[in-house]
Amino acid sequence: MNIAATLRGATIVLDDRAILRAIDLDIGPGLTIVRGSNGAGKTTLLRAIAGLVPLARGSRAVTTSLLSIGHRPQLLRGLSARENLRFFAAFRGVSPGGVDAALGSWGIAGPVARRPVETLSAGQRRRAALARIDSEGASLILLDEPFGELDDEATALLRGALGRLARRSAAVVVATHGHHELDGDAAQIVRL
Amino acid sequence: MNALARIALVAGRELRAERRQPDGLVAALTFTAVLVLLESLVIGPAQARQPGVAAALFWIAMTFAAILATTRSFDRELEDDALDALLALPGGRDALFAGKVTALAGGLAIVAAGGGALSLVLLSLPVALPGHLALVTITGVVALPPVIVLDVLLALRLRARGVLVPILALPVLIPQLVAATQGAAAAMVGDANGSLAWSGLLIAFGLVYAVVGLTIVPATIE
Repeated sequence: MNIAATLRGATIVLDDRAILRAIDLDIGPGLTIVRGSNGAGKTTLLRAIAGLVPLARGSRAVTTSLLSIGHRPQLLRGLSARENLRFFAAFRGVSPGGVDAALGSWGIAGPVARRPVETLSAGQRRRAALARIDSEGASLILLDEPFGELDDEATALLRGALGRLARRSAAVVVATHGHHELDGDAAQIVRL
Repeated sequence: MNALARIALVAGRELRAERRQPDGLVAALTFTAVLVLLESLVIGPAQARQPGVAAALFWIAMTFAAILATTRSFDRELEDDALDALLALPGGRDALFAGKVTALAGGLAIVAAGGGALSLVLLSLPVALPGHLALVTITGVVALPPVIVLDVLLALRLRARGVLVPILALPVLIPQLVAATQGAAAAMVGDANGSLAWSGLLIAFGLVYAVVGLTIVPATIE
């Protein structure tokens, strides 16, 4: 099994409080679900894998291209969804030519894709952020509460995207406290 | 994609966002213009026309304008956690620092052109060596951003960053402020060698802090 990311003895301390202690985790191809109640440290665990929080103890290794989408859309205001996604794709060295198709497949097309992101609804911004899954082709995808703010149609699109990622053997980590219907497709479930 | 291309991408993204929402640039321009106007009213045109006084006030205004514009730029990055997406990309941390420095230098050049023109016209400043003054202005515009972007980045996750950034940045910027002021004053009175020497010092300061920023930002920013 190709390991996309590992944490060894990872302890994360924020504001003098240990959020996670001595976490060992191997993330391979397929779906990894991170479950836990509010405040259990799901977001912190994903941020640790992405290298967005320092480890007080332990080590982190990522062996492949990583895409991390938090519970906020992470799109720069002042730019359109299209401009944001073209920037990310170009930064990775991926052709930005696939951005329009990716956004279109998530229902963000035409004038909506060209409007500044702050004028879009929360659900549209979330869809645009999730379109990065298709436009950047990363092999390790971290999704923090990805179903939040999505309507039924977008939820189905996300389920479809998770299926596509599984078929291309990408490693996907989804942090959620619901959506137990995903458990059947999961390669592993991490409970915090 | 190489590092220079990534820096250009971040700088281009920054300038595009600033063009659509020019809050930082407008605030910086307004601040500089108001200070130039106040200068002539408060200390009187005769005093304000002194090369040392006019240059010092101009560069103090430029420094605060740069802090204002940089802080606003990073506020935009923190909205919707846009910064996290960049930091999670390979090479994102280096490109963030250098791209912001490049974009800020571009914005400051506009503020310097506007504020400088206003100073020259409003105060009827005599300039013996306009080319040298332009050189000092360009090197000053290049020397300020590395320190300011570095300080804003280091204070980014602190609640009191609005207060801390000037406190952290201003003592470090004193040599650059002295060099820019002395260099501009030298150009105004016709001291070519003096203005060139101060310009060289400004370039050196800019390079040193650019290297410091590129070295420590990837390891320190969260």
